[in-house]
Formats: sequence, C-alpha cells, structure tokens
Amino acid sequence: MKKTLSGRVRLLWGLSVLLPFFVQAQNAPTINATLSGRITDSRTKEPLIGATVVIKGTTNGSAADDKGRFLLKTGQILPFTLVVSFIGYQTKEVIAESNTINIDLEADAKQLSEVAVVGYGTVERKNLIGSLSKIDPAETKNIPVGSVDAQLQGKVVGVQISSATGVPGERVNIRVRGATSINASNDPLYVVDGVFINNNSLQTIGTGGKATSPIADINPSDIERIDVLKDAEATALYGSRGANGVVLITTKRGNFGQKPTVSINASAGAAKAAKLWDLTTGPEHATLVNEWWINTGKDDRTLNRTFENRPFRPIADGGRGLPEEQQTYDRLSELFRTAQLRNYDVALSGGTQTTKYYIGGGYNTQEAIIKPVTFNRASFKVNLDQQVNDNIQVGVSNTFTRTYRNQARAGDGPAGGLLQAALHTPTYLSPVNEQGVPVGRAGFDNLTLLLNNYQVNTTSLRYIGNLYADAQILPGLKFRTSFGIDYNNYNESEYWNSLLISGSPNGYATSSVSQYTTWLNEQTLTYRKRIGNSHSFGVLIGNTLQSDNLTRTYAEGRGFPNDNFTQISSAATTASSQNWSKSTLASFFGKVDYNFAGKYLIDASLRADGSSRFGSSRKWGYFPAVGAAWRIKQESFLQNNRVISDLKLRASWGVTGNQNGIGNFAAQGLWTGGTGYQGSPGIAPQQLGNPDLQWERTRQLNAGLDVSLFNDRIGLEFNVYDKYTSNGLLQIALPGTTGFSNYWSNATEISNKGFELGINTVNIQRGGLTWSTSFNVAQNVNRIEKLATPLRYGSRELILQQQGTPLYSFWVYKQLYVDPQTGNVVYEDVNKDGKITVDDRQLVGSIWPKFFGGLTNTLTYRGFDVNLFFAYQYGNKIYNHNKFFGEGGGARDAARIIFASNNARWQKPGDITDVPRPDGINVNNYRDGGSRWLEDGSFLRLRSLTVGYTLPKTVTKRVGIQGLRVYAVGTNLWLLTKYTGLDPETSASSDPNSQGIDLGTPPQPVGFQGGISLTL
Amino acid sequence: MRVKQPILLLLFLLTFSSCRDFLDVKPLESISDTETITNQNSALTALRGVYSALGDGGYYGTSFQSIGYLSGDNVQWTGSQSQVQEFINKKVNADNSTISSAWIAIYRTINRANNVLAKVPTVTDPSFTTAQKNQYVGEAYAIRALAYFDLARTFGGVPIITSPTEKPTDNSGIKRSTQADTYAQVLKDLDAAEPLLPTTVDRYRVTQRTVFALKARFYLYQKNYAKAEEYATKLISDATNYRLVKPYGAFFQSDARGTAESVFEIFYNGTTEVNSHRGQWQPQTNGGTRQWAPNDALVALLNNPAIGGNRSVLVAKDNQNRWYGNLYYRNPASDPSYIFRIAEAYLIRAEARAQQDKLPDALTDLNAVRDRAGLTALTATTTPTKDAVLLAIENERRVEFALEPHRWFDIVRTGRASAVFNLSDANRYVLPIPVQQLLTDKALEQNPGY
Repeated sequence: MKKTLSGRVRLLWGLSVLLPFFVQAQNAPTINATLSGRITDSRTKEPLIGATVVIKGTTNGSAADDKGRFLLKTGQILPFTLVVSFIGYQTKEVIAESNTINIDLEADAKQLSEVAVVGYGTVERKNLIGSLSKIDPAETKNIPVGSVDAQLQGKVVGVQISSATGVPGERVNIRVRGATSINASNDPLYVVDGVFINNNSLQTIGTGGKATSPIADINPSDIERIDVLKDAEATALYGSRGANGVVLITTKRGNFGQKPTVSINASAGAAKAAKLWDLTTGPEHATLVNEWWINTGKDDRTLNRTFENRPFRPIADGGRGLPEEQQTYDRLSELFRTAQLRNYDVALSGGTQTTKYYIGGGYNTQEAIIKPVTFNRASFKVNLDQQVNDNIQVGVSNTFTRTYRNQARAGDGPAGGLLQAALHTPTYLSPVNEQGVPVGRAGFDNLTLLLNNYQVNTTSLRYIGNLYADAQILPGLKFRTSFGIDYNNYNESEYWNSLLISGSPNGYATSSVSQYTTWLNEQTLTYRKRIGNSHSFGVLIGNTLQSDNLTRTYAEGRGFPNDNFTQISSAATTASSQNWSKSTLASFFGKVDYNFAGKYLIDASLRADGSSRFGSSRKWGYFPAVGAAWRIKQESFLQNNRVISDLKLRASWGVTGNQNGIGNFAAQGLWTGGTGYQGSPGIAPQQLGNPDLQWERTRQLNAGLDVSLFNDRIGLEFNVYDKYTSNGLLQIALPGTTGFSNYWSNATEISNKGFELGINTVNIQRGGLTWSTSFNVAQNVNRIEKLATPLRYGSRELILQQQGTPLYSFWVYKQLYVDPQTGNVVYEDVNKDGKITVDDRQLVGSIWPKFFGGLTNTLTYRGFDVNLFFAYQYGNKIYNHNKFFGEGGGARDAARIIFASNNARWQKPGDITDVPRPDGINVNNYRDGGSRWLEDGSFLRLRSLTVGYTLPKTVTKRVGIQGLRVYAVGTNLWLLTKYTGLDPETSASSDPNSQGIDLGTPPQPVGFQGGISLTL
Repeated sequence: MRVKQPILLLLFLLTFSSCRDFLDVKPLESISDTETITNQNSALTALRGVYSALGDGGYYGTSFQSIGYLSGDNVQWTGSQSQVQEFINKKVNADNSTISSAWIAIYRTINRANNVLAKVPTVTDPSFTTAQKNQYVGEAYAIRALAYFDLARTFGGVPIITSPTEKPTDNSGIKRSTQADTYAQVLKDLDAAEPLLPTTVDRYRVTQRTVFALKARFYLYQKNYAKAEEYATKLISDATNYRLVKPYGAFFQSDARGTAESVFEIFYNGTTEVNSHRGQWQPQTNGGTRQWAPNDALVALLNNPAIGGNRSVLVAKDNQNRWYGNLYYRNPASDPSYIFRIAEAYLIRAEARAQQDKLPDALTDLNAVRDRAGLTALTATTTPTKDAVLLAIENERRVEFALEPHRWFDIVRTGRASAVFNLSDANRYVLPIPVQQLLTDKALEQNPGY
C-alpha cells in the first residue's frame, strides 16, 4: 500500500490516530501491561497506516503508524480480544495471547473486489467490462411508493424513473438510457433470482388510464441487491430482451455456518398532500361565466348572449342568481386525507455447513392520500440451498405474495372518477339538489356517494420461484440447470351500485380473473481456466426455453335486485368472455472472456433468440457483443501511484433485441370471432399479417472510465454511450380505405446518446464519524431518426412523434402574448398565412429532461446515521391538463371547475397578463393544445431524509439483542419546482406514448415514518 | 452422483431439439385470414360481421349518427370535449376525432362487405344454395351502398374501394372520386342488390324492401323526385307490414323493437352487441354522461302541443331539472339504431310530391306523420304554396327526427343552410377529410376551405 500520504489525507489520518487518546477508558487499568505489533495487508504484506486496534468491550485503542506498528497500554489480563479495523478492509477480531502480535487484514470484498452480478454469473467488479449499477435497496425501501422500482428513482445513474401518480403500487416509467421504440415496450427486463418476471400490468378495469405495477408484488425487504445492466456488453447475454436494460434482482439468502439470526423491522407513519389545487370561489366562478357569456355574445351576435340574459342573473329573472349569491363547496378536502402507512418484516436466516436458509415474512399497508384507495401486500419468502456433496449444490427460491388494492379511478374519464368528482366539479354547485338528494354535477359522480359506495378491488396472488442444481463436473467446469416460474393470479372486481353513474339504474358488476404463467428452463455450462500467472479465460454456453401464457375469464352483470346483492350471479343480465394468449422464446448463447495479467480484459458473446411472435422465416435474431477493458492501474507506471488507487478504461459494442410490447400474434393475418349480430356469432377481419415482421435491434457503443483516488475515498465512474435502434417495431397507420387502422412492421429508427457520471466520495472518516456523498448525473438525447408518418398521441393529440425530433414531444400552438388592447391570445403564426390553423401547431419541448440524477449524503457518527437523498431532473415539459380545463375562462360553464389562476384574466384594455379574456372553447383564447398550459417540469426534491440511531451493542447484548436501530424517515419533505400543478412527477396515462400530461392525478405525498429494526 | 451428470447432459441436449414446433404458436380466439369464408355457415357469420361493423360505435353506433344531429340546430353541448362543439358551431376542424372514427368505421364496413362480395360466390359448398348466396351477396351490396351514400353526403367524393384488403398495400393510394361518381357507385350497388334479395320482411337485415327504402332516400337526395316517390310508395303501400305506429313513442318506448314503424334498424343485444349511444344522452342518474342534450329551442318545439305533439316523449328531465334526450335509454345498452323508419318514407314522398307540385298529395303524406304525432292536419289554407309545404315538411322532419341523423343532411341537400344555419360558406357543406387520413395516404386531397 501507500507509504506516504498527501498532506490533507495525512491530516485526517492523524486526527483519527489521535482521537482514541481523547477517549477515556471505561475501566481504569489494573495491570500496567502493553501490547505492540504490526498491521499489514494479508496479500501484499504492506503496512496499513492508520488501521486501528481496540480492545473489545472497551474504548481503549491505538492506530498504526507509518510502518504499520502500534503500541497500546492494555491494562488487561491475557488473553483478550482485539478488534482491528481499517477502511477498505474487513474488520477482524483476534485474540491476543502475548504482548506482541502481528495482524493481517483482508481487503474487504465488498469494497475492493466487490462482486458484480452479470448475465448468467458474477464477476469481480474490478474485472468488469460492461456498464452496470448496483443498488442496495436498504436505503430506499422505506419510501412509501409500493414497488421497488419506484423507490430507485435518482439512485441509478442513467436510469430515469418517473412516477405517474402518488398512489402506491401503481406503474412507474423506467427508462434505461432513453427509449428505443414507439409501439414496442421500453421497459427493462426484470430478472428475479434468474426468473424473467412479467412486468406488464394485468389490469383490465379502467382506472382513467392508470395501471398497477406487477413489480409491487415483490417485498423490497427481501431483496439483497439490485443490479441494473445498461450497455450492450452487459445486456447482450439477455439478447432478445436486453435492449432496454436489465434489472437483476437478487433476493436474500442465508450463509453456510451462520448462526440463526432473526431480524425484525417495523415502521409506521402517515402521509399527506403538500398542497391542493387553488380553485375559484362560487362568486368568482359565476363572474367568469357571465363574462364569457357576454364576450361571446359580442363576438357572435347570432348567439344572442347579452348582459340581460347572462346565466348568473337574479333568480326572479330566470337566472341562477347573482354571482355574489353563489355558494362555494369544498370537495377536495373531502377526498384527500392523511394516509396511514405501516410495514412489518420478519426474517430468519442462517445455515449449517451444508445448508443455508432465508425465511422472510412481510406485511405492508399503505393508504393513498385520496380515499378510499389502499395498497396492501403480504409476502412470504423461503430461499434454501443444500450442498449435496462436494460437487453438487441444489437450491430453491420461493416468493409468495398477496397484493390487495382498493383501486382508484383517478385519471381521465367521467364515470366513477374520484378526482373528476372532487376536482373537476364546479365549486358553486351544491352536492345536493333542491330536494336535498345528493346529485352528481357536470357529468361526474356525486363525491360523497362515490366515496361511500366505491368498490374496485384487485387481489394479485403471485408466486415467483426457481429451482436450480449446480454440478462441478471437472475442476473449472461447472454445469447449472434451473427451472423458474412466475405465476400470477390477478383477480379484479368492480361493483357499482345504483347510486353511482356506472351502476345506474340497477347496479353493474364485473369480475375478471387473469392468470399469467411464465416458465423458464435454463442450462449453462461454464469453464474457467488459469494458465500460468498471466492468462485466464472463461467460456460459457447455455440455452433457455421460455413460455408466457395469459388466460383471462371475465364476467359482468347488470340489473341487481337491490344494492345488497353484489355478486354477478344475482344480476338480471350477464355477459362473459374468455381469452387465451401465448408466446414462446428459445435461446442459445455463448460467451468467452480472456484476462491477461489482470490488465487487459476482453470478452465476446453471441445470443440467438427464436420468438414465436415473428414471421415464420424471421423468428430468429442474432445478438453479438464484444467488450474490452484496460486496468491502467495495474501497469507498472501507476502501480505505485499514491493518488490513483484504481484506473480503468472500458469499451464495448453490441446488439440487443426487443420484442416486448407487441401482440403475441402480431405477425399473423387474422380474422376474429366476436363480431356477432342479433345474438348470433360473426367473424370479421381483425389484422393484416406481416410475414416479414422481425426483431427490433439496438446497436450500442459504450466507453467508460473508472477512477478511484486516495485509497478509494473518491470513486468516479463515467460512461458515454451511443445507441441506435433500427427495425423499430411500429404499428404503421394504414389509410382508412383499407378497412384497417394499422399493421405491425419494422419501420422506425431511433437514437439515444448520452453520458452518465457517478461520483462517490468519503468526505470524512475519522473516529466514529463518516460522511459520504454519492452524486449522479446523466443526460440522454433522444431522436427519432426515421418515421415515415408523424403519429399523434394523448388527449387533444398533445404529443406528436415526428422524424428528426425527440420522442414524446409536445405539439402545441405557441402562445406569444395576450394582446393588451383586445385581451386575445396571439399565437405564433408558423406558416405566416395570417390564420391560426392546425398547421401552426409546433413542437415545443418534450418529456425528456436535459439532465437528471440524484444526490445522497450519508453521515454516521457512533450509533447515529443520517441519510439525505435528493432526486432531480431539469428541462422536461409537462402539459398541465388540469389547468387547461381549470382555465377554461368560464366557457365550460357548469361543466368544469375554474382555477383561481383564471381570475388574472384580461378585463380591460391595458391589462398586462398571460391569461386572456374568456371566449369560446377551442375558439382562440382557450384553444385545445395551447402552449399556455405547457410548463417546465424541472424539479429538485428531497426524496427522503432518514435519521437513525443504533444502540451500542454493549447495551443491547445485555438483553440478548444483537442489534437495535430506531429510525425516522421523511419522504418528499421539500420540493423545488416552477411547475404550477401539484407535482411535476405525474402522468394521467400509463401509456408511454401519452406521458407527461397531468390530469386528475394525486401528487406524491409528503410522509413521515418511524421504525425499529431488531436483530436477534 | 456419477449417475446424475449424464442425465443432466441429456436434458441439455433434449432442449435443443424440436424448437420449430415450440416456436409455432397459434391463437385460439382468431383464425388465419387464409381460410375464412369456406361454406354456408362461415359465409353467414362473415355477413353478420358486416352488420356488426354497420352498428359499430364509429358508425350507426354513435359517431356517424352524431355528425348528423349535432351539426343541426337541435342539440347543445354540455360536456368537455370540444370536437362535439365543433359540429354545433359548424366549424369542424380536420383533426376532429369524431369524423376520423366515422371515416374509419365506414370503410371497415365496406371492407367486410367486400370480403363477402369477393368470397361468397366462389364457395363450393353443395349445401350452400344459390338463393342463400344471392341473398348474402345482395345484403353486402346494399350495406356497401349505404356506406358510400353516408360517405358521399358527409365528405363529398371519396375513394371507391370494391375489393377486400388482403395485404397492407391493397386499397391505399386511391384518389377520391367525385361526389357524383360516389353516388353513382351507390346506385350501382343498390341496383345489384335489388334482384338478388328476397322480398320478405326483415327489420334487422337487408331485404329487397330495405333497398326500396334506401333508393327512395337516394333519389330524394338526387332530386329525382319521381323515383323517390315511386320507391317510397312501394313501402307505404304495404300497410300490412309498414305503418306509423301510434302514438309516436310506441316505436321505441317500453323496450319496443322491430315494430311496424321500422324498415331497417340495427339490432343490439346489449351484452356482446352494445349500442353505446345512450351514454352520450342519458344523465348521470341513468348511468350516462349527458355529453350533449336537446337545446332550449328543441325542448320548446317538442313541448309545444301544436308542433311536437306526442313527440315530447323524446325529452325528459333529470333530478337537476335538466332536459335530456330519451330516444336511447335502455340498460343494458340494447337500444336499436334506426336507419329507416316508415315515417321517413312518408316525408320523402311528401317532399317528392311537393317538388312535383302535387301539393294535396304531399299534404296527405305530411298529415299522416302529423296525425300520428297528435297534431292537426295542414290544409291548402294553412299551407297554400309549394314553398310553404316544403317548409312545413322541413320543420316536420326537424321534430320527427329530432334525435336521429337527418337535420344537417336535410338542410344541406335542400340548399337551405345559409337561411337556416346562417352558414353561407358552401365549402362547409361537406366536412373535412380527417387529417390523419391525409397524412397516411398522400393520394387523398382535402376538401376546399379546410
């Protein structure tokens, strides 16, 4: 190791050497004895300067000098135990039996030779060629969002995670290095203990565009680690599924020869919305409606809208009463609540010499901040490994989960919409009619009736399991076979009674049971050989077979005898349906790697995938990758460098495929049944075939640099990448004259280019105080390189996909200003024809941030720990669709809410404002797709703040407790954004092509939780 | 363990075989498009598919119908979707989603009909009689005629497609025909259908009588009044099967369907065949959204005993004292969509006769409709001139078909849009070609003025 240190670091070391002397020993020395010795690295035998020695059970200790030597007044009778520790090394306990002792410390595998989980194996992190990120879920598992993927926001460099809603357990958008496809999926592949799990929501009931997250079925507490594979070198072994990155989830297992350990974690807390929408009062609403009425009357005399017949005129004159006579009704506070959160986990792990086990149970319940929505997960986990003999090991992983949701209809759509009833209903309208009967207004349900009668329940039963056998056939030659299953029984039911719109007049119920079964069989044969001191190589070959099968049985009933009957069997009219779908995948893969002297690393891999989804002659895709790394630190000119503790250059090229998100039978020309008439069956053309439909291919180049400085106190990882997707899967729009809307083809090309920078530093480490910082920033530039016909998505076609621009760009009429003389909006007349037509819509920004990332600071001092975690993104746009409706200028009259911001409208010549005078809907000033509601979505959010205290073991041991930590977590405590909606992280629709539109979505809650972790 | 290793290796090898079968997965809910219409039964099921398309939500299920009545002057917009308002304001934009879905749904119907027309004659099933084949082909011709008629009166001339689409390159890049040529195609299909069809009465499926009705309407639009009168007479004279049921509400109230009033209506069973129309009209208390509603003028007309008569049953009030349209009301949603009622035959003949200056005969037909509505008869005194009779017919049609898709087309075809709707820009008498269609098919040209 280093013989000298830079001045600054030496100072720190010096302090840490001195520190122990300031600490008084608890027991006065009774014997005047000393202990001396030397602390060295077990491998290099170099002195470990600054390593500390403490007599166990006391605070009496010393630190090693620049020769690694230490001297300690012990005051203890031999023998006694010493605790020896040093940063980057495993802490060791040794028994001192004489007055001198030499101690070797082993480098900590976790830090110096950390293992990275890669495709079909592991590799020492120092020998890594590809680009991947590891995450320890322990830091984020208390963030109350339900699913582990949502919790990782800001933690993984280059991975953009966007929550769509503040409802726990709902789908989030995860994009690893951008998006590659318009119609195929852009979600990464999720692999749990070797099982490729389903991450597509099985939801069938309409909840206003929202969808549940199947990842929420996994209890974050059972997860040991998460590795996100990003570049082609890392993902190519998952060839067919790797184009959007791979998320490898490894669950906890026991250790051989470990005493049984029980860990218990319990936490509870509450969450609420930081703010709610600011609405007009009844009188303000009425004033705006009258103003709109009179304005439109002036614009168009034939409408006969005058002051005399304005809607809010005295009741005696046939009006609804004067504006100042209107009441104001607050529905929002009836819907929103302080949500309760609770989480309990118990786990038992341990092992004998031949068996290891992990048994975990968890229960998590989270209310959403809107009534009556809840998320509730009970999980049970058993992982077992058995060493059968010296050569064979078998094991199982089992996860059982029951996830129950009381689901919200919280996005778009009228009937049953919670936020429609609460937010979009005008404030002046009473919730009851003249007879005092509760009524729904503006086409929406009555909120009170809705909340009291809302029954939309989903139960997901999930089993994810894997059985494997490892056999050491010859030295270095290993065979592994495994069989994995992901089974999900997803049971949904709705009951809308006679008091609700959907249930009028006599009740309406649906029941849907979906069963999704994936099975996966996998064989791998690996061989690793070292020749001499300098050459090492490995070979991997393998195959997998996978089948995905979805079946669904659906029933609905209408017309119930009364509201006490809720089962479809009681309904007067029933209907049912049955669905079946299946896809299969066969794959073969191989990989060779070569390592010369630990300096030069190269590898190459090839995967062939056959998918049942493609045309008969196009089923197989071939996905190669090569990578190389140069560990410059190992070169003689750097080996003794005291500043640079590690330096590595990496480069890779590879091709990955994508077939997710397209229909299982997308390539086939089909006719469907189910087009019956007069109650008799009918058939009709369903889709046109495309025998040439084939794999979407993404080519990716990656170059990376890993630098560690000052004995790993500063770590830096930098990657640049260039992805190019061709043969992009697209539903090409067909002219209506064909009788079809579209057909599947390979028609797009999309590029993603960007960089990722991660910096980890240990800012202070001395005595008991450690302060470390982790910062990451990434940029991705997305561009549609080829798309024959522009495609429109989203409400009011707000999103346009067009060649030469980024995916998900907003297509709007750009508002320049409000004319102070007329109060009318002046839009940019793009084609200068003097009229504002659809041709003047233009692309203004997109959902993509210019950069995004996270910042984590961790402080530990003695038993205290503080973790401060920020997530941020900058430069993305959001369409505030709530405000589009809420700033209707009064033209929607009794059909919609008006936001208080509309009060700032233009009223008389000379008024300077960006809110125009009220005119008609979609006429000019309140035009669909106006840019006034397109806002900057940049934010910096204090995602979580955790403060914990671990009781000293000396205290807890006395009561037989190994470890006890109490903690408090605050989530989303602070938010910096210019966005005028409630939350810049929002999306009404779970359709990726309609992202970034904020409508009827509850915000991310501000939460507080307290918890306790106990190890026995 | 020495035994086990070869077993594992064997397993490894086994998985390499039979990949071809493993990757060949066929759907269970659909069939390959290479074997579709092969015998009588499959021909009949394919024909039902054509009717299903005709009754789809994009066509007579809701969207197309709504174009006809929203564009008139009877309906107001009470919801949030501005494409509805565009019809009412008669400023329809090319990106209006309703015209887009109607265009797609109508051509889907045409494609299904084309499949029947192309494939049924080639079926060699001995139990499939010529009469049956003729009937199925005739039905497909007549429905295709109706589809082109609806396209022509809504958009003007359109591309004429007469063969099924079997691959993506088929039937695209076809230029628009003129409106006259499109109407010529309608007549050609109706003429082809007429002799093939049985003379029976079927109110849910096309028969020769349905073709009479469609021809009567066609000739009225073409201002061929003699022919219009002739074909209308063919129906009116068959009083056994077709008559004005009394009172007005009898043809749709109390879950009535297939009454003697009806010449052609689409059947919906309410479960697998749903008429979603009610959702737009009914108020929340009845499970609808009341996206649009009868306007004050129409409510006043219908509730005026001298004008609406017993047709006031078309509107009702909800628990917030708001009027709503009540033609589509059934739950589950099994309301028929009315394509041709015998009342229309009377009013077609009245108009045709008036145009031929047979004013007393015209008034007789008009009075038949008025009488059923519980109104007094018009006479040569009350309605002395041709213009007065025509105006009376126009006004009668407004209330008789208040919630059916006629008003807009009637006012446009009679050249009265400027007077009635204050719409002088003749370019607006046809709607724009949906913009998405223009983008996907470069051969299409937009109507002038859009």
